[in-house]
Amino acid sequence: MSSTRTLALASAIALAAGAGWAQDRADTVIFDLDRTIKDPENFNWFTPGTKRMHGAHQAMWEPLFILNYGTGDLDPWLATGYEQNDDSTEFTITLRDGVEWSDGEVFDADDVVFSVGMALENEEISSREASTIRAQVASVDKVDDLTVRFTLTAPNPRFIVENFGVRIFGSFLIMPQHIWEGEDPATFAFYPPVGTGPYTLSSVATNRAIWERNDDWWGAKTGWMDLPAPARVVFLETGGEESRAQLIAANELDAAQSVSVGTFEAIQAQNPAVTAWYPSYPFAVSDPCARQLEINTTVAPWDDPRMRRAVALIIDRTQIANVAAEGATVPSRTMFAQFGSMEPFIAAVEEAGLGLPARADVEAGQALLEEAGWTRSGDYYEKDGETLSVDIHVNSASTEYTRTIDVVVEQLQRAGIDAKAVPVENGVFWGEVLPFGQYEMTYSWLSCGSVNEPWASMGRYTVDDVVPVGERSPGFNNTSRWDSEAAEKYTAIVKEIGDKALNDPEVPAMVAEAYAYLDEEMPFIPLVQSFKLVPFNTTYWTGWPTDENYYNHPFFWWNSAHQIIHNLEKAE
Amino acid sequence: MTEYSTDDDVAPAEHGLTREDRRRARRMRRFDNPWLNPKLYWGGGLLLGIVLVGILGRLLWDLDLVFTGSGMLKLPPVGFENLRGQEGTFANPLGTDGAGRDMLALIVIGAPNSLFVGLLASLIGMSIGIFLGFTAGYVGGRTDDIIRVLSDVMITIPPLLILVVFQSAFGDVSLTMMALLIAGFVWQSPTRLIRAQVLSMKSSGYVQMAKLSGASTFDIMFREMLPNLIPYLFGSFIANVTTSIVTAVGLEVLGLGPQRVPTLGRTIYEAINAGALIQNLWWWWGIPTLLLAAMFIGLLLINLGLDEVSNPRLRKA
Repeated sequence: MSSTRTLALASAIALAAGAGWAQDRADTVIFDLDRTIKDPENFNWFTPGTKRMHGAHQAMWEPLFILNYGTGDLDPWLATGYEQNDDSTEFTITLRDGVEWSDGEVFDADDVVFSVGMALENEEISSREASTIRAQVASVDKVDDLTVRFTLTAPNPRFIVENFGVRIFGSFLIMPQHIWEGEDPATFAFYPPVGTGPYTLSSVATNRAIWERNDDWWGAKTGWMDLPAPARVVFLETGGEESRAQLIAANELDAAQSVSVGTFEAIQAQNPAVTAWYPSYPFAVSDPCARQLEINTTVAPWDDPRMRRAVALIIDRTQIANVAAEGATVPSRTMFAQFGSMEPFIAAVEEAGLGLPARADVEAGQALLEEAGWTRSGDYYEKDGETLSVDIHVNSASTEYTRTIDVVVEQLQRAGIDAKAVPVENGVFWGEVLPFGQYEMTYSWLSCGSVNEPWASMGRYTVDDVVPVGERSPGFNNTSRWDSEAAEKYTAIVKEIGDKALNDPEVPAMVAEAYAYLDEEMPFIPLVQSFKLVPFNTTYWTGWPTDENYYNHPFFWWNSAHQIIHNLEKAE
Repeated sequence: MTEYSTDDDVAPAEHGLTREDRRRARRMRRFDNPWLNPKLYWGGGLLLGIVLVGILGRLLWDLDLVFTGSGMLKLPPVGFENLRGQEGTFANPLGTDGAGRDMLALIVIGAPNSLFVGLLASLIGMSIGIFLGFTAGYVGGRTDDIIRVLSDVMITIPPLLILVVFQSAFGDVSLTMMALLIAGFVWQSPTRLIRAQVLSMKSSGYVQMAKLSGASTFDIMFREMLPNLIPYLFGSFIANVTTSIVTAVGLEVLGLGPQRVPTLGRTIYEAINAGALIQNLWWWWGIPTLLLAAMFIGLLLINLGLDEVSNPRLRKA
């Protein structure tokens, strides 16, 4: 035990010394990065790859607003506020005065208009945020230096939070016009990068990015906000659960990516300074991206809705929660994240009799298989001499993913389906398998989006986003390629919901109505709620977000991590 | 032994004859049957033990426990306590892993699997090696050149590198498939070894005699020469089994290889991936490691024992 720890420590120190941040560890905050930076000298976030979550959108690029999960409000950041017209088709954003790019140029309405313009004009840029803007915005105009007006193609009361509010992971990032002007946004590398945040890039390699504080930051000069306390921010690729656990236990990491409950308990036993969202079991905070089994509805035999419903019945959600999450999560009742703000919609779906059972009903599932013409011979079902089998692609980056799919594979195997897990590397999974539909089933959370209203999640499975297998799904929407008659009816209702105001009393009933089509055809199967057990180390830094210090959620890989970095204080 | 030698020194005249006789007789017995040496016993015993675990386990233990979620998570072996203070029970005598799989069932299925891959890969590799080695050595000429260059080139290629690429491309592979892939990298050494031996034997009298009496090339190669090479072949075979298992385990520990079939290497991979070290779940990675160690020691002992068989000078007087 102690020898492995010493080893991890030694390698961490060697690593730290090599990168040159060991000498002033107390001024440095080290975050965990769960992936390799494939193309370190490319900061074009419009293109796929690790271009943002290695510190770029946590320390350098700032959002206009940040959705506060605690209060439900939009905390203003680079913008100070916005106004909208009565039918939610026109939004006017007011920008903060005195904002500067780190190269000294002024940040103003021109940058916003220019950046949105790039997204509107360039079909080939593929990031989710850019595709969403392209789908919603008809035109964007500068009113004056600090005011921008958006005209939408259709009413959307959620326009600001959806595009500029860091609702989930990222937001549409504004790029400096004076650098991007004349460049091709699909190929420009944007290196060295420039942002408005309090840190600038010091160095970047495939396994880490180092950001130095800019003591000349506009926010401190204008008196808006103090300079953040850490002089240096590091995002370090740690590898698997074992190494991130050893590093944080040895104080060589200040914030680690999600670990399992058992690992967290072991870390705490070694290093009591490591904390999490809750001080005791289950420690973890719920994440808005509920887990699901995504099904490619174009591939036989899974193009038959009965087959998909059969799988939904065979899966035992409670066992997934107990085994894969070690009891730290609960089965999903519907496709939605089980936040208090989502309860009216979840309740409406359940009242219509459409919720998902927490336990399996294998016999009912098998009856559906038989109805679809399959007969069991020996271990597996067969039809026309062909065995009923399925490959489930799973991202191998986390034990949570692989273990969940192990459980699902086991459940399907026992019910007579020859299921098999196909582990895929993180980059291949997000870059090729999912967007191009190169799978039969896969583990994902692509209905993620809704936090306080149903449309953001439901709107991701409309027929508008269906593309053939082999073409990239716009913004990872409807990767199931669900476009049956039921899907069209579903789309019509969801569009109506989209036009309604956020608190319209008719919405829950409409959600239930649309959900009936989802339930009938199951283009994806909701599994369990997502849990994130994010360990924070208080040895060098305090002020981490917790249930008691709830200034926002603890997801430090999101664009909202600016708030975390600003809240950090040196430990005494 | 020391006792005897002191005795011999002190009173050679009194007991010398009978002792000397007995010792000689013992030595002669050992020479008579070189296969009965302690290294072979022990090595064979270790491997047989692992095979027995596999056979008896299949008869006596519920193997359905090997599947994900069949028991409680992270239970320790009987007599130990885990970090949560849970004690081991006889329902899972060797404990369970992080996904609730029974360790005993994992071993019962996994240990023979590793041995199976090694044996199969080596068997195929050796067969290729024997065929090519004899052909190259005996036929000679252009055929020899081609085979020699091919095996020399192949010997320089690190197998793990190629196999990692192969396996990631295949995704999930079966045990047999993995054995076949490994077999593609273990035929070169036997080919070279056998070719050299055949070259030196070719000019010996009995081969010449066979040739003169009109025996076919095939008969000369495999009826006349092959039996003389058996001890060499056995040694080479066992060395190849070891290499194949090391390669297979290496792949499994990297997370490649079969996904749903339990193997010792994959168990270690999962333990490392799930943070078993920091959680002090030593039985999760420790038991498979121990078994692999036993397997390699067994193979090594057999190899040393076979060396004694084929090389009388190594035998202790």
